[in-house]
Amino acid sequence: MSRVCILGVGSPSGDDQAGWLTVDALLDMGIRTGDGIVIEKLDRPGSALIPLLGSTAWLILVDAMQGEGEPGQIQRFDQTDWPHHGHGLSSHGLGVVDALMLAGELGSLPPRLDLYGIEVGGTTPGSRPSRAIRAAATRLASMIADELASSFSNPPGIARG
Amino acid sequence: MTESVRSMSIHVPVLARVEGEGALDLRIDNGDIAELRLRIFEPPRFFEKFLEGHHYTEIPDMVARICGICPVAYQVTAAQALEKLFGVKLSRWARDMRRVFYCGEWIQSHSLHIHLLAAPDFFGCNSAIELARVDPEAVRRGLRIQALGNELMDLFGARSVHPVGIRVGGFHAAPSLARIKETRERLRAALPEAEAMIRWAARIQLPPDDQAFISVALRHPADYAIESGAIAASDGLLIEAESYDAHFAEQHETHSTALFSTYRQQPYLVGPLARLNLNHDLLPDGIKALLVETGFTLPSRNIFHSLLARAVEILLALQEASRLLDDYSIPDSPWVPVTPRAGVATGCTEAPRGLLWHRYEMDADGRVINARIVPPTSQNQGRIEEDLRLSLMNFGLDQPDDALRLHCEKVIRNYDPCISCATHFLRMRVERT
Repeated sequence: MSRVCILGVGSPSGDDQAGWLTVDALLDMGIRTGDGIVIEKLDRPGSALIPLLGSTAWLILVDAMQGEGEPGQIQRFDQTDWPHHGHGLSSHGLGVVDALMLAGELGSLPPRLDLYGIEVGGTTPGSRPSRAIRAAATRLASMIADELASSFSNPPGIARG
Repeated sequence: MTESVRSMSIHVPVLARVEGEGALDLRIDNGDIAELRLRIFEPPRFFEKFLEGHHYTEIPDMVARICGICPVAYQVTAAQALEKLFGVKLSRWARDMRRVFYCGEWIQSHSLHIHLLAAPDFFGCNSAIELARVDPEAVRRGLRIQALGNELMDLFGARSVHPVGIRVGGFHAAPSLARIKETRERLRAALPEAEAMIRWAARIQLPPDDQAFISVALRHPADYAIESGAIAASDGLLIEAESYDAHFAEQHETHSTALFSTYRQQPYLVGPLARLNLNHDLLPDGIKALLVETGFTLPSRNIFHSLLARAVEILLALQEASRLLDDYSIPDSPWVPVTPRAGVATGCTEAPRGLLWHRYEMDADGRVINARIVPPTSQNQGRIEEDLRLSLMNFGLDQPDDALRLHCEKVIRNYDPCISCATHFLRMRVERT
């Protein structure tokens, strides 16, 4: 079991890369898989997210969100918020929140779970992410790195030297 | 006794727990169904047009993008059609591994449908999340089996969504022995779980239903047809893919952007129940015994048996994959060379949702001149409407509106319609001044 698992969810569609960009920014800061940390990018995992949840003590999950805010706005979701953000289930369309709620019913959630959303704008397939999203991903990566540093005397996975 | 009759209309604006976008309109006048229409209004897809001018080497990866759930079906069907035209003889290894790859897709698609989409209906639940409260072990088991299907797809396709492993002539690469060994062990371990799932599915109380319909599916002389076979129907038809157009027709209906298919001017059923109805004699003996034990008698005229049929096919696919990987070895080459030629290529396989038929007209350089793809959901669309009429009459039109609505949704979900694959038709208005 890993101490921390960081998952960036996205797709190659413009701002929908927000989760992937956050992972890239963490890698740029020297945070790597190994020594108790798993860091991965996922492409719309659907229910395949659920098996990943049971093997970590602390899951940090970053996904794009579409709300009413400005692109680049970062929001952290409590578990009590999840039911308001599920979209229902279809073959192709099991969203992150739906998968988390299903995992919750199955008792498969990790002891600690931090879910972050980055408000996105355009999600045209194949387009590049906007500047606001790239900046938000860097900002969120810094927040996550600070939280890792303050939670552990020897933060996992941070390359030193 | 006075029999009450009523007039009402039901409109289900968005069908939940089906893929893509569709809607259902039902109008009852004086106790009779005056109008029943399954409307598909997802924006039309242009894949067949996209394919024109593209080289045969690109086709498997392009058609994989038609569906995120059944990409292997599209890839295998396209490759099969083109290999037939080009006179390619696949190696035994490639033939077997195509079947294993396809089994992975059946396992993941069927398991997803059973546990996340269809089963909640039969437990009085609105979603799989609610079902997980009622029967968490069944959902956990379903997710484990689904993950194994994804693993098989990833093994041969490099990823489970829009895999890229297939090429005309075989596969791009052969998985390592170490990975095959791991997967093989997991497949064997899953067999008892799949048997337990069949027993669980067989215990589900289903609405009684008895309808006469024509089943259409591939039939192979030796195996339960998945990736190859001739097209068979329950009235005795047995034809090769090339003769499809002589027996089946597609036409537009104004209320839908998908095409409606007919066989001898009648709707027909494709998919797991149609396959079992036509091919149950080719099931392995162990599965036949399990069906006897559970009391599942085939052929079945109750479309609500579709969920159980999917469970049976999951066990079959696990057994087949396990059997074919038993003597796995790395081939000298996972593909054979291909030389294109001009002509018409046709192919068909059994996608998780039913018969999938492709036709490509190719030029001498191996480029597509035109393409036609007939997916399972468009073939089932007419049958769904017919089924809804009959099911509602059986169910009783005097039932409360909510009960009627739920019953209609249950009926539609039996077919696991994948509307994004089925949408073809562009309704276009041109104004000229």
